[in-house]
Parts: sequence; structure tokens; C-alpha cells
Amino acid sequence: MGIIDNIIGIYDKQYKLLMVGPILLLIASLAVLGLSYATKGEFVTKGISLKGGIAITFLAPTDMTFGELQETLSTQLEGDVNVRALGEGANAYFIIEASDATEDAIVAALQKEDITLTRGEYSVEQFGGSLGASFFRQTLWALVAAFVSMAIVVFITFRTPLPSAYVILAVVCTMLMTLATISFIGLRLSTAGIAAFLMLIGYSVDTDILLTSRVLRRNEGTVFERVLSATKTGLTMTLTAFAATLVAYFSTDSDVIRQIMLILTIGLFYDMINTWLQNAALLRLYMERKHRG
Amino acid sequence: MRRYCASTWSGSTVGKLRKIFSSVRIWIVILALLMMLIALRPNPIADGVVIKSVTRNSSASLAGIENPQPTLAPSALERIITINGKEVADVQAYHGIVDTLPINRTVTLRTTRATYRLTVRPRTETIVLNETVNVTEIVQRNRTINGTTSIVNETVTKEVPKTETRILGAEPLGLAVVNTPTSNLRKGLELQGGIRVLLQPAEPVSEDTLLLMVDSLKQRLNVFGLSDIIVSPVSDLEGDDFILVEIAGATEQQARELLAKQGKFEATIGNTTVFRGGQDITYVCRTAECSGIDPNRGCSPATGGWACSYFFGISLSPAAAEHHADITRNLTVIGIPPEDYLSENLSMYLDDQRVRELRIGSSLRGVVTTEVQISGFGYGISEQEAVTNTLQDMKQLQTIIATGSLPSRITLVKVDTISPTLGTSFTRNALVMGGLAVLAVTLVLLVRYRRLSLALPIMFTSLAEIFLTLGCYALFGWSLDLAAIAGIIVAVGTGVNDQIIITDETLRGESEGGRSWKDRIKRAFSIILAAYFTMAFAMIPLIFAGAGLLRGFAITTIVGVTFGVLITRPAFGKLIEILLENDDR
Repeated sequence: MGIIDNIIGIYDKQYKLLMVGPILLLIASLAVLGLSYATKGEFVTKGISLKGGIAITFLAPTDMTFGELQETLSTQLEGDVNVRALGEGANAYFIIEASDATEDAIVAALQKEDITLTRGEYSVEQFGGSLGASFFRQTLWALVAAFVSMAIVVFITFRTPLPSAYVILAVVCTMLMTLATISFIGLRLSTAGIAAFLMLIGYSVDTDILLTSRVLRRNEGTVFERVLSATKTGLTMTLTAFAATLVAYFSTDSDVIRQIMLILTIGLFYDMINTWLQNAALLRLYMERKHRG
Repeated sequence: MRRYCASTWSGSTVGKLRKIFSSVRIWIVILALLMMLIALRPNPIADGVVIKSVTRNSSASLAGIENPQPTLAPSALERIITINGKEVADVQAYHGIVDTLPINRTVTLRTTRATYRLTVRPRTETIVLNETVNVTEIVQRNRTINGTTSIVNETVTKEVPKTETRILGAEPLGLAVVNTPTSNLRKGLELQGGIRVLLQPAEPVSEDTLLLMVDSLKQRLNVFGLSDIIVSPVSDLEGDDFILVEIAGATEQQARELLAKQGKFEATIGNTTVFRGGQDITYVCRTAECSGIDPNRGCSPATGGWACSYFFGISLSPAAAEHHADITRNLTVIGIPPEDYLSENLSMYLDDQRVRELRIGSSLRGVVTTEVQISGFGYGISEQEAVTNTLQDMKQLQTIIATGSLPSRITLVKVDTISPTLGTSFTRNALVMGGLAVLAVTLVLLVRYRRLSLALPIMFTSLAEIFLTLGCYALFGWSLDLAAIAGIIVAVGTGVNDQIIITDETLRGESEGGRSWKDRIKRAFSIILAAYFTMAFAMIPLIFAGAGLLRGFAITTIVGVTFGVLITRPAFGKLIEILLENDDR
């Protein structure tokens, strides 16, 4: 028990110092996002479902890796071409995403590499560019609207401006850090990814509301004891979610589900930092000031 | 504190069970589960094949097999029991029987509804040869002698190109079948394969116009014998209107061809075209003043039931009205008033398929009028049924006429092809993934609480929630797609979170003592409700976003978490109260 007691001791005494972690992460995230915007003109690399283009999925040939295919196709086809592999062994699929090439051009290019695709044995998804652009804009607005309505509900619940703002701050930070990580690892964001971000709002707000409820609405024990009990419950919540997303990530062969699970896993990790290091510390500072004043 | 240590294990278990089953909250869950079980109608051992669609004018359609409505529940589809006395186990067996049938053979098809007799027709090809041949035919002509018009038969000789007809093989029966569905859950396109097309009107249209376009498209696609089609209007946050068309089991090629067609509507008298959809028809009346059951004729008993007549007005362009007058001028009047009609009928063609034949009232002969009234009949066993059928028939005809003149041009925004081969493995994979995730979560809960009596109820409650949400999908006839599955994952995840909160609050209260059960559960629920409302309100903007594609996600999430908060969470609270009560005191 010694180690756990030590950790709890540090969590109790050094909470102001521990806040440096989330602050540094936030600065780094903003830097990554800013740099990405400055160099590429967008915060994250958009997949073709957001940008417009075509995606072709087919059973992978055994004698070629997706990296090799990527190289040859990039020289043969116009615009942005991206090849990914999905699944393993006999169930492996290749997904070719191209921003400007047509289905026929891709099929013809594959033919040159001795990969013959017959109709019905591959799946094609086409995304209109105009829809891609307007869809992205709208989804951003939907996110903003989601945050505003969420902020209103949180404020009505706690009726105190600062702790309510902390809840929203923690959720926003989680989203920003997750977005920065996705941008950093070069993941191509799809519409499903946007769905994952919205799922993240739900998961992330659950823990923050738990913490705020326990600290503000209870009066037994010290503030730290209340924080600690909330942490115990909250970590159980996040860990079960973690277990589920990780298992799903490794057991799915759906590209859509995989991206959702990856974003959720990253997001849950940042949610722990933002809730238990940042939001908890800010709440303790708020309570101290309240008692002094 | 009272102690129950003396009670035997079995005694306390029976006591707890009795308590569990005397709780109203738990019965609500059980009832809800039963209701959803009926809605889902799971049938994992289903065999045989069901009829998904019937091709127009195929031998199956001529034999009287009806094209199922797209709104029909999967379990209500017509199932084929035997073909020529042989049982049909699955789609493969069906093709094994059907594909080897010789030409002109009669096939006896027994289904859950009736027994049909079909004939295998030959598939022929007609080639125009480079020769000509003389044919004589008798033509009816109007001839005016001394002011009276009479019909005279005339023999004409025509030179026509010589043709040769070759038999290529047997024509398909025209049935599209799938394996009998194992539940009433509609699989979205990602799960069963097909095409999803997003269409956009070329210019902004009113909501009424959009709905009219949706109707017209449905009508047009149904003409092609595709029944498994969902056409729905969607709009996004920026106020842009779209039409979403989902066609299961179609290829992209087919979908593009169908939708790219402007929908050619043509009405002919004899062999002459009177008017075409588009410029010729300027207006189709759908309001009560100029459409509905004909007040002059109404409904009357007919052989074997009731017949009603309907009418509605359409407006022709001046040129079409002129044309109409020219053609009808030479026709004779047959019948006695008020049932007097012209000698030729008005035939309506939609994309070269004849869809309707109407008689023309004698008053229209040779008259130049832009306002034309169209009337027809509908039948039914009772008067009420006749009225319903008549109005339905009228609506269909109005749509057919309007189809040719889609109020606005449509552009294809996006075509998604979802391969069915990916589809089947998706389903299996989703089940495996779900099962493993449930196991992983149970494991974490076991590590944390170290008792099965806490981990298992949490898992059961979560499974119940998944079942309730799926049942809801079957109940409303929504189709389950990947966005919806993502929604279920969130709902279940939040459910587990809430149950952990309830468990921790009760356990904590237990160790502190003093506080009543009610108080502890109440505390847990104040947190849960706050989280619930925050979540639900965050999802609402999403229902209206992204041309409706993310709607499935938002709706499922809201439905799932609402079920949780209203039905399963209170029951779980009660369950935990009963389970913990006797244990550690």
C-alpha cells in the first residue's frame, strides 16, 4: 500500500504543481494545431469523406504491401492518393483513397500492377467535394452548438459560474489535445471521426460532472476526501471505457469503428488528465478561496 | 445495525429473489424487454428465402406475386416454401432449383401466402436484318361521306425491315430473394450492401416541393421493380435540402442510370403523343377543391364490392391543349351520357412503360382547353376500403403525371457503394467485437469490486439496454447502420458509467452508515441526471447536422441514454439495494 499512499500524498499536497502537466499539454497542443494550420492550411488532415474524393476497398493481394502500392499509385494517379491496409492474413483489405482520380482510373492503374478487380467484389465510396466542404463546416457548427447547449445545462445544474466554466474548460481541453494528437500522428479524419469527437463529449462530461457534484454538493469530509472518492469512481468509469475501446480497436475490421475507437482511446487518456489533474485542482483552489473569503 | 448472519445461504437468496420480483421497477424492465422481444421477433433458426422484390412484367409479376412495400417489416415478407414440390433451404438452393429450369416449363411456387403458377419464358433477341419484307395490315380510318362520319377498314401494304428472333435462353423469373431474416431488425446499407445516393435540387425548393419530389422519385424507382428503396428528404444546418435514396442490393451503375433519367412521361391517344411531362403539363392539382372523390358520381355498390370515382384537374400548356383538340376532333363518341367516352383511350407511359389507361370524356372532343379533368375508379370490398383505395390510386396517378415534370432539376451530390461482401463480415465482426468488449468491461469491474454479485448485474443491465435500443429500432422500422452502432456504444458506455456511480454511492453510504438507501440512490441520480441532460443536449444539434448522415448516431444515443435513465437505471438502483442489503451487515 506504500506506493498508493505516496501517490495519494503527492496528489493531495502537490496538486498545484501537478497542474503544470495539463497546462504544458495544452500549450503543446495549440502549437501543433497552429503549426499544422500554418503549413498545411488545416488543423487536421481530412479524409476523403470530409474533403471529397473516392475510396475503393478490396481484398488485399498476397504479394504486395500497401506501402509499395502507395508508391506506384502516387506516381500514376492525379491528386492525393492514400493506401491503407485493414485486417490481417486472408481477411486483409486494402483501401485506396484518392482525391481527384476516378474509379476507372484507379481500376486501370491497379490492372497495371496485376490486380484485377471485378465488379461486386470491391466496394466504392464516392464523396462529392462540395458536400465534403459544407459537411465539415456544418459539423464544426454542430460541435459549437453542442458546446453552447452543454454549457447552458451545466450552468443550470450547478448555478455557479466558475465551476461550470471549469467543466466546459476540461471538455474543451480534452477535445483540443485529442485533435492535436490526431493531427500530429497524421490520421485522416473521417466523418466517423467527427462522431467519435461527439462521443468523447459525452464520456468526458460524465467524469467532470461527477467530480463537480461530489465537491460542490457534499459537505462530509474535506474537499480532498471528496475529490479522492470521485477520482476512485471516475477512474473505474474511464478504465472500463478504456478496456472496451481497446478491445474494440483490436478486434474490429471495420475502418469506421477503428477510427472511432482510436480517437476515443486517445480522448479518454486526456480526459483523465484534464479531469483529475486540472479540473480537480481548479475546484480545490475555488473551494479554498471560497472558505477564506 | 441488524445482522442476518444466521440466515442460510439459500434462504437469503430466495428472499432476495422474492424482493427483486416484487419490485415494480424491475417489472417495468421485464415488460419493456418482452415488448421489444415481440418487436424484434428474433428467429435465429429461420430457414428458407423471402421475396425481396418482383421485377415488373416478369413471369413472377404476371403470376400475381406482389412487389413488397418497402415499409413492410422483415418478418412479414412473403416466404417461399416450395418450388415444384422441392423445399428451398437458402438462396443457394433457390438458385440451384430456378437456374436449371427449362424454357416454357410451368413452375409451381408455394409461398406463405398463396400458390402461384409461373411459366419460364424464353429470353429472346430480335435482330434487324439488312432485308425488307412486305406486310399487309388492316387500319381503321374515319371517312366523312355526305357529312356523316363512319369508320372504314382499309388494307395497307407496308415495307418493313425483316427481323429475326433468336432464343437466347430462359428468362429469369423476376424474383429477387434473400435468406429469411433472423429478426425484425432492418440492416442498414453498411450491413447488407447497396447504394446510397444523395441528391440535391438544383435550386432551393419549398418543403412541399421537396416532398413532392420524394414521392415522384419513389414512384419512378418503383416502376423499375425495385422495392427495397428508402427515399427520404433530409436537410442540413445550412438549410440546404437533399434527397437521400438508399437502394439495397443495387449496383452503382443501376442507381446512376435510374436517377440520371429525367423521368420521361408521355400520354398518347392511339399512337399519337398528346402531351409529355415537363413543359406540357404546367400544374397537377392536389388540393381538395379540384381533386378527390368525384361528388357527382361518388361511391356505389359494384360487383363484388364497392366502386368510387375520383377526379383531379391538370393544366396543360396552350400548345399541348391545341394538340389535344386536334387529335380528339377525329374520334367518335361511344356509350350513353353520362357514361359517354371517346373511342380511343388516353394511355400514359412512364419511361416507355405503360402505367395507366384512361377513358376520355366526350365533352373534351375537339375542344381547346388548358384545364383538363382526369377521372378514374377504385374498388374495394367495403365502401370504406373503396374510398381508401380510390384515393390511393388517385395519389399514385397524380404522382406519375407530376413525375415527368419534377419541380426542379436534381443533381447527384454523392454516391456510396457499399459492397455486400464487406457487409456480411461487418455483422459478424460487430457481434464478436461487442462480445469481447462486454467481457473486457466485466473483467475491469471484477478487479475493482471483487465480487461477481456487483459486476454481473452491471453487465446484465447494459445488455438489457442494448436489447431495448435494438428493439426500438425494430419497432420504428429504422435501419441499423454503423452510425447507429456507434450510438449504441456510447449509450452502453454511459450506462456502465452511471451504474458505477450508483454502486459507488451505495457502497460509500454503506461504509459511512447512517444514510438511508433512498438518500444514497438520490445522490447518485442527481449526478446521473446532470450527465444525462448534458449529453442529450449536446446531441440535439447533431440531429440536424451533416445532411442527416450523423442523425442515426445522435438519435440512437439519445434513445439509448433515455431508456437507461427512465427504465434500466431505476431498476438497477433497486437491484443493487436488494443485493447489498443483507451482504455486509
